Amino acid sequence: MYRYDEIDDTLVRERVEEFRGQVAARIKGDLTEDQFKPLRLMNGVYLQLHAYMLRVAIPYGVLSSDQLRMLAHVARTYDRGYGHFTTRQNIQYNWPRLVDIPEILDQLASVEMHAIQTSGNCIRNTTTDPFAGAAADEVSDPRPWCELIRQWSTLHPEFTYLPRKFKIAVTGAKADRAAIGVHDIGLRLVAGENGDIGFEVHAGGGQGRTPRVAVKLRDFVGQRDLLAYLTAILRVYNLAGRRDNMYKARIKILVESMGADAFTEAVEDEFARLKNGPLTIPVEEIERVAAHFLPPAADPRPVAKSADPAFLRWKAHNVKPHKVDGLRSVVVSLKPTGKTPGDASAGQMDALADLADRYGLSEIRVTKEQNLVLPHVAAADLADLHAVLAGLELATPNAGLASDIVSCPGLDYCNLANARSIPLAQAISKRLAETGLDEPAGELTIKISGCINACGHHHVANIGLLGVDKKGEEVYQLTVGGVADGQSAVGKILGPGFTADSAVEAVLTVVRVFTERRTGAETFIETLGRIGADPFKEAVYAD
Amino acid sequence: MQIEATCETARSAEAPQVLALPPDAILEDIANEIAGVERIDIHFPSFKDGRGFSLAARLRERGFEGELRAVGNLIPDQARLLKRAGFDRVAPDQSGQAERWNAALTAFSGDYQPAEDKTEPAFARRARKTRAALADALNADYADRPAREVLAAALDRFKGRIAVLSSFGAESAAGLAMIAEIAPDTPVFFLDTERHFAQTLDYRDALVKRLGLTNVKILRADRDEAAAEDADGQLWRRDSDACCALRKVRPLARALAGYDALITGRKRYHGGVRETLEPFEFDGVRIKVNPLAGWSREDVQAVFEKLDLPAHPMVEQGYVSIGCWPCTAPASPANVRDGRWRGQDKTECGIHQPLAAGGQGGPLL
Ligand code: SF4
Ligand code: SF4
Repeated sequence: MYRYDEIDDTLVRERVEEFRGQVAARIKGDLTEDQFKPLRLMNGVYLQLHAYMLRVAIPYGVLSSDQLRMLAHVARTYDRGYGHFTTRQNIQYNWPRLVDIPEILDQLASVEMHAIQTSGNCIRNTTTDPFAGAAADEVSDPRPWCELIRQWSTLHPEFTYLPRKFKIAVTGAKADRAAIGVHDIGLRLVAGENGDIGFEVHAGGGQGRTPRVAVKLRDFVGQRDLLAYLTAILRVYNLAGRRDNMYKARIKILVESMGADAFTEAVEDEFARLKNGPLTIPVEEIERVAAHFLPPAADPRPVAKSADPAFLRWKAHNVKPHKVDGLRSVVVSLKPTGKTPGDASAGQMDALADLADRYGLSEIRVTKEQNLVLPHVAAADLADLHAVLAGLELATPNAGLASDIVSCPGLDYCNLANARSIPLAQAISKRLAETGLDEPAGELTIKISGCINACGHHHVANIGLLGVDKKGEEVYQLTVGGVADGQSAVGKILGPGFTADSAVEAVLTVVRVFTERRTGAETFIETLGRIGADPFKEAVYAD
Repeated sequence: MQIEATCETARSAEAPQVLALPPDAILEDIANEIAGVERIDIHFPSFKDGRGFSLAARLRERGFEGELRAVGNLIPDQARLLKRAGFDRVAPDQSGQAERWNAALTAFSGDYQPAEDKTEPAFARRARKTRAALADALNADYADRPAREVLAAALDRFKGRIAVLSSFGAESAAGLAMIAEIAPDTPVFFLDTERHFAQTLDYRDALVKRLGLTNVKILRADRDEAAAEDADGQLWRRDSDACCALRKVRPLARALAGYDALITGRKRYHGGVRETLEPFEFDGVRIKVNPLAGWSREDVQAVFEKLDLPAHPMVEQGYVSIGCWPCTAPASPANVRDGRWRGQDKTECGIHQPLAAGGQGGPLL
């Protein structure tokens, strides 16, 4: 993984000192809350319902074991003993005190971590495939590009006060596990005509209250031109994006109002001026960054056969193929039955860091599904690893299944929420276990957002729940047919809303109808496409 | 960047040489108004409205050299971003925070991105170090290797980002023949100053055909610049440095964007600063490859004979280093560059010096 050099280290430490000064200026009254707000947001500090919240960046979801230990330390020392992994491949702490935050950031800097631009109207953490560098279907490793984007976007002189937040996703594999279609910019690594690797560029996708699938701007942008092209897009957006209405300020609205062709033309025009200029990435820098992401060595040890049904079930769902012989990637589920999706205790984090050192080349990934991944584990070690994980409540065999529910923090923490999300996730997870529907339903996505901001990605869930406020009541809308990865699609509302309890049962009913009506190995989307929404609707609204 | 106290912001924005721009200004629409303006004030209605940053950067990129002033609701924490976006002054609504403004200017010692303050971005700093080390390493490996090996190694290592600059002069054919043999599609730049001897142009065309070079690019001065700076075509008489800048240095700088290595035909025997030439040389921006550094005049001659290469038609008239006709005279073979800019101190045309950013001239092959 990437390691800081002196330049990176200095910048992050200077940033800590800058924020220390800003906190002091706020306390002294030199900064008003209105002035302080964007500054603290750009350092990951939110004011939540009950307290400040700190969101720490996990750049493109990649963590070392030492970094994970530091996250555990922060959870233990400054929070209530746990952290919450988010759908943006970051971690949030819900209870730190504002005065402690500069100190927390200082400690994070000692392990090459920061909270820069994890919030605010700026370029956020770039996300990617959690199996990057390991996935068997990878065209090219996206992580060096994520790191180059991270550096370019950090403290950008032009793009720090954008109309709205801005999210970039990169995928390097044939199967898009980064949901590039629903990002402000989505990049796909592709091979060009002469075999050179470059980028297919999409822009204008997003979730929130007006979900849109991104449009393709270009089939191919050369590697060295990437930053010039991104600058061109951001500049068009920064100058022309709406600032009068925060609900219309995302790039998707601009792309839509200008029209894809006119937007593309404006970007191309800007790019033509920037190309071959100082934004051209030196080949040496591409090579330097890429050298931090070399593939691991093969592991030739023989693998003993196991007949343990718990292990086999876990292996079937949570173990993924790897491009290197003898290695596998392991999904560590943070979705035990009835628990809060994405939460991990300090003890679990420490234990997992140790396991990563022992079995996983000291590397951990965070997924947008709010799980963790050990990307490089020897097939020969899987049984031992499983045994230890099981003892830590980290071996729930449900990666990608219905009970692998994604949920935003919702009304329990978030001051924008209309409704609770976590309790619903917990209830659905319990009911799936009780009814035994989880396994027969196979791969199926359920996602819950507590308001239209869609942090829980409900739009792109096969089954989505959205909390809305109806005259002071928490009401949930149910959507079906959304897809995040690959051919992104936005789900459609099934019918009238539900109370919390009936929403849980409605989700269960949809899962049940699917298991009854699917033929062969159909996915939920395939069954839905074949039989339409009516059978689901009828069953859900029957009583 | 200068921070004005609010009381000074009374400086009138209505003065004719000052243009006040709202944040939604469209530069394309006001290009005429900008021409000749000494100062542009960009208004920030709110510090959260970042349009002014892009406006400033765009103005600078499009060549505005006057003063840029940020006016309005700005906070000290934005000082550095403003400076980097190209502002020279800021007149904030809120007064009395000079200390915080100045502290914010120096809060960071380095930057990741290139910007209008023209500091070197991290990636360029790192690449420069790597490139310097690479030149040293290559010299250690290739110091005593034959020209052909040096050239082949360079063409391979810098594939796609290496070019040749050739004057198609007296000695050029020897090196070009070697390049044509290894990689005939290597870009060969020729600076057409429009002051070349007709013999040079004919010789160039004949040589390209004979050697089978497939990627010759003719570089000329920008039309508008030439019209503005050298309307009567006599600039070389008045100011040869300015003429070389117009007709050689800038066209080459534009053409070289995207190239990281440049093959030259310089040889130690040319004397002067060339006496210590090594096969690889980092000039601060690019790697220069001098495969023929160790060659003598006789070595060049031997290649001409062996390959039966045509000589430049002016060689037999006593010219040994051939450039533009106003600035070239015959010289003795012992001191080949004596014939250039005769009667002036000038011995090099400026394309050898590294340029700070983007462009770098290279010597002739
Ligand atoms: S979706 Fe709404 S409720 Fe949930 S975390 Fe985001 S803003 Fe808060
Ligand atoms: S060599 Fe002479 S004529 Fe040629 S560009 Fe320079 S000054 Fe002008």
